[in-house]
Amino acid sequence: MYEERRKRSAFEIMREYMELLDAWADELLESPGRPSWDIQSCCLEPLCDISITADEVVVTADLPYAQPETIEVEAVGHDLIEISAKIKRKVGFGDLGITHREGEFSSFRSRARIPVPVETDRMKIRFKRGILEVHLPRKKGHRIRIE
Amino acid sequence: MSEAVRIVEKKRIPSEAIMLQGLPDVGLVGLIATSYIISELNLDEIAYVDSDLLPPIVVLHKGLPHAPLRIYGNKDLIAAISEIAVPVKALHRIMRKLVDWAESKNVKMILSMGGLPVQNRQDIKEPKVFAAGSSDDSLKLLREKGLEILNEGFIVGPQALTMRYCVERKLTAVALLAQSFFNYPDPEASAVAIKKFAQITGKKVDVADLLEKGEEIRLRARDIMRRTQSELSQMKKSQEYDLPLYV
Repeated sequence: MYEERRKRSAFEIMREYMELLDAWADELLESPGRPSWDIQSCCLEPLCDISITADEVVVTADLPYAQPETIEVEAVGHDLIEISAKIKRKVGFGDLGITHREGEFSSFRSRARIPVPVETDRMKIRFKRGILEVHLPRKKGHRIRIE
Repeated sequence: MSEAVRIVEKKRIPSEAIMLQGLPDVGLVGLIATSYIISELNLDEIAYVDSDLLPPIVVLHKGLPHAPLRIYGNKDLIAAISEIAVPVKALHRIMRKLVDWAESKNVKMILSMGGLPVQNRQDIKEPKVFAAGSSDDSLKLLREKGLEILNEGFIVGPQALTMRYCVERKLTAVALLAQSFFNYPDPEASAVAIKKFAQITGKKVDVADLLEKGEEIRLRARDIMRRTQSELSQMKKSQEYDLPLYV
């Protein structure tokens, strides 16, 4: 066993580690293994995206059929926001051509974790072309002057 | 050893046709546009792609099983679409096979529609379409048809591979890139891409129904968009935002 191990070159060991790392990365990048809907709460999970600029974090969500006046964005703690909106008309599996499942959906709901410190009380929202934009200003640090 | 990618023909394949490719990509622009053209022009399923590199999936439509990556056609048009996000690891071999197969069928031109991600997409009412061509002749044709050429930049993903393999084989490839959302299905971008497809090929496709069904398509396309997002990040799709350096 020891002899066998000694025979492997450093490159082989490195390659094995790289393969292992690749496999882990693949696992992490794999899409979530849960559905994008929840029958219990009658909610659909919208597509969401987060981008970070020097000044703000922008969370967007695609909300087709959403009633604009029902859109709510709530800060849940300092690094989590919850987005919800009612859908103009109930959508059932049957509307999507699926006959082997039962259930209807009346709203969108999703949560987005904010990866950097932000000021949730200064949050601004915009809804255009069915896309919700949540702008969260990033917390400012202390300015240090060059002596 | 069996072939990694096989195209199984179910019906007679037309010769000297134009081939459309609409694989899931940015904003699902190409997939939505190509699927809509298939439906509007009543193309028949004529072949499918079989590969051990694809996940073990079958799609049921009207109770019958179908391969997720299928090829449709009529007498002068062929269209390839995929109902699943194509895994990055399989992409090179699948695109090479599609180009090889197109060459064997004397395809006149491979035309693919796709999205050009722009950050301010919400503020754009009518997305612009840019075109890329595989040769000087194809660029000339695109200019004659009034298309704006994408002069500098990166194309990443299925369209990039088609372009590369077509250059190798001296086949004509054209990519139409409509300004679109990166991560969200964009039927409006698909509609403007279809208009340019019609301008190039002379085929008439009315996009009114596509625009009317925009919200429904966005709702239905959430799952394939989610799966595609994962593949896009693996293929470093965001490199399309990069500025190329060529001194």
